[in-house]
Amino acid sequence: MASLLVRGGRVVDPATGTDAVMDLLVTDGRIADRRPVAPGQKRLVAPGGARVVDATGRIVCPGFVDMHVHLREPGQEHKETIATGTAAAAAGGFTSIACMPNTDPWNDGLSVTEYVMSEARRSGVVNVFPIGAVSKAGRGEELAEIGDMVRGGAVAVSDDGRPVANASLMRRVLEYTRLFGIPVIDHCENPDLSAGGVMHEGYVSTMLGLKGLPSAAEEIAVGADLALAALAGGRLHIAHMSTRGSLERVRRAKQEGLAVTCEVTPHHLVLCDTAVMESDYDPNTKMKPPLRPEADRLALIEGLRDGTVDAIASDHAPHHTDEKLQEFDAAPFGIVGLETTVPLVMDRLVRTGIIDLKRMVDLLAVGPARILGLKKGTLAVGADADITILDPQAEAQVDVARFRSKSRNSPFHGWALRGWPVMTIVGGRVVHELQTQAGH
Amino acid sequence: MLDTARTGDRKSLARRPAGAGKVPRRGPAASARERAVVVATTEFPEIEAAKPAPMSALQHRHLLGILGLSEAEITLILDTARAFAEVSLRPIKKVPTLRGKTVVNFFMEPSTRTRSSFEVAEKRLSADTLNFSPSASSVVKGESLLDTARNLEAMAPDMIVIRHQSSGAPHFLARHCKSNIINAGDGSHEHPTQALLDAFTIREKKGRLKGLRVAIIGDLMHSRVLRSNLFLLRTMGAELIVCGPPTLVPPEIDKIGTRVTYRIDEAVEGADVIMMLRIQRERQKGGAFPSAREYYNLFGLTTERVRRAKRDVIIMHPGPMNRGVEIDSAVADGPFSVILEQVTNGVAVRMAVLYLLAGGTIGELAG
Repeated sequence: MASLLVRGGRVVDPATGTDAVMDLLVTDGRIADRRPVAPGQKRLVAPGGARVVDATGRIVCPGFVDMHVHLREPGQEHKETIATGTAAAAAGGFTSIACMPNTDPWNDGLSVTEYVMSEARRSGVVNVFPIGAVSKAGRGEELAEIGDMVRGGAVAVSDDGRPVANASLMRRVLEYTRLFGIPVIDHCENPDLSAGGVMHEGYVSTMLGLKGLPSAAEEIAVGADLALAALAGGRLHIAHMSTRGSLERVRRAKQEGLAVTCEVTPHHLVLCDTAVMESDYDPNTKMKPPLRPEADRLALIEGLRDGTVDAIASDHAPHHTDEKLQEFDAAPFGIVGLETTVPLVMDRLVRTGIIDLKRMVDLLAVGPARILGLKKGTLAVGADADITILDPQAEAQVDVARFRSKSRNSPFHGWALRGWPVMTIVGGRVVHELQTQAGH
Repeated sequence: MLDTARTGDRKSLARRPAGAGKVPRRGPAASARERAVVVATTEFPEIEAAKPAPMSALQHRHLLGILGLSEAEITLILDTARAFAEVSLRPIKKVPTLRGKTVVNFFMEPSTRTRSSFEVAEKRLSADTLNFSPSASSVVKGESLLDTARNLEAMAPDMIVIRHQSSGAPHFLARHCKSNIINAGDGSHEHPTQALLDAFTIREKKGRLKGLRVAIIGDLMHSRVLRSNLFLLRTMGAELIVCGPPTLVPPEIDKIGTRVTYRIDEAVEGADVIMMLRIQRERQKGGAFPSAREYYNLFGLTTERVRRAKRDVIIMHPGPMNRGVEIDSAVADGPFSVILEQVTNGVAVRMAVLYLLAGGTIGELAG
């Protein structure tokens, strides 16, 4: 395989404690060599025939990992396919994604897991890691054939979209997955309390006359899961945490030494429930968990800073325009996120000084790779050459019409953001390249 | 909540008298942010500007809600309704004001009162009306709201009056239609013409709204009548208290500018106006209260309870009533009740709204 030399970029690689201007040589899909650029020191030389990428002024990161993506295939190809979803991931700066099992049919056994793996090899442009179902057809009754799915390539289990509301089943899956060392990812929501709700329950839902999803619906489930994890062992991962109360529970559990991790989404970090009112009931502000009040948003940001949060994940949930262009309460929950996550994090969290670049790489690469047990998230010599290159100065407006995703359901259309992924490299191969300013 | 102003319609902007420009002209892009500002300021009525100059024309294309309407705009609608009330007393109850205009009454939820009230109002203004409802339409065949709206639009109506079970459905229509949209009740959100006719009725009886003590009692959670009335009466300077079982009080409602109590005796104490809200039996199954009997015992308006109010109290109900549940027949049909006057006034208020949204001015009407 050909070689690639990434010259003169700022390499931020927390796994090796690196933050320095470096040359990076990729050969045969791996990081072959790396050398800091310093006065008096010889630069790395590209072997004959190698492509040279000038990364001056750019930030070179280990390839980002989005651990919460809905690819919709098989079964809902009108929303997204493995081909379009992975293309969206590449455009958004992600080199690896983990896809949720709530397809049609559910990924609850070897055949669907193998289908996803083979389709990803055939039409995908980034690494795809399937997440298998906890229970057969996600019904929350009997355990799915987790061993088979792990053999086929599954890296975690989840009944995502549906909380594992049956405490006994949750206990069993936490116990059973100890056999494989994989995490159990739970969408925490108490279905009795959340029934019929379409947005956060509070002042804004009162003003708009919409049925509320109280914070307690999430917090009850988080609390129950933590208690079950303490009982059963296993590795619990809480998906898309959205409230201060959830965060505090996880923080305390971590202090007590429990093996729990959690993720937050970019939309919960930059939007509040007032967005539903300001947008006059735009269904692109409708998702689960719902957008919460400012106090919760600030608590999540605090969780990013103090290390309680382990990963930022998009919860990329594509829906066809016809499905979203409905009355607010009739529209489905969820928004796309693969192509907006990185610029939102760069513009709203890094540029504003809330987190630094090292922490950003922790949250977008190191953390999710560690949770899923992937040998990713580093640019050490010998590692897979999965690389995300960012231009911190690039400015652009989010334009849903230009998404690679099949779906357009984003509340961020028209947002002007600074700091975009400009090149995505998977296994040494450039899968996305944005032509920006001259000089390259 | 209001839509964008009549951008591009120079004629109506020119009609606006100097100094009446309280409502900013908004482009669609800026509207969300500005609306947020409106919301923020209306939480604190005292920081609103000093008494606005009188208005002669409405600055909005749609009536989606009361929230966002200024005191001057509400006053304009009520004053215009006053002029139209006179039409209903004539032997020939018809004026040519909306001749040649087509109004679609698009009712996705069953309604007798509101729908017939709009229809009468439209006919008295000489508009051509078209009634469109789900049982007789393609909606039962699974057509989306967007497609239904587009098909209605294709017949080039001037206005669409919409009643819909989903909060925000009129806003959805306003985004996708060229017609003027009038909200005739959306989900649990707003019912602006009901609040306007309530205010009209109160003003006729009391001569003012400012400083009156108004108690609103019943299912606060699911009531669009409540929300519109709170927004309106707050803007007009009334003193509000709401009352209902704790299970039917929406969260943080006190932030809208009302006191909250769970005791009806406290709510009606010294009230100038008592407004009862309909309690739906389905809520009992939802666990909000144990039985109609217990609801009546705790929250029903009885003659005895009315005695705690002012001696000239008026009793209101938006209908349809559950006699013997939220209100005693003796009260509903008694001397303080203005329930049927509300219905009568509804026609005049809806005539005013239709007329003003069509671009009419109160000056033209007087001339």
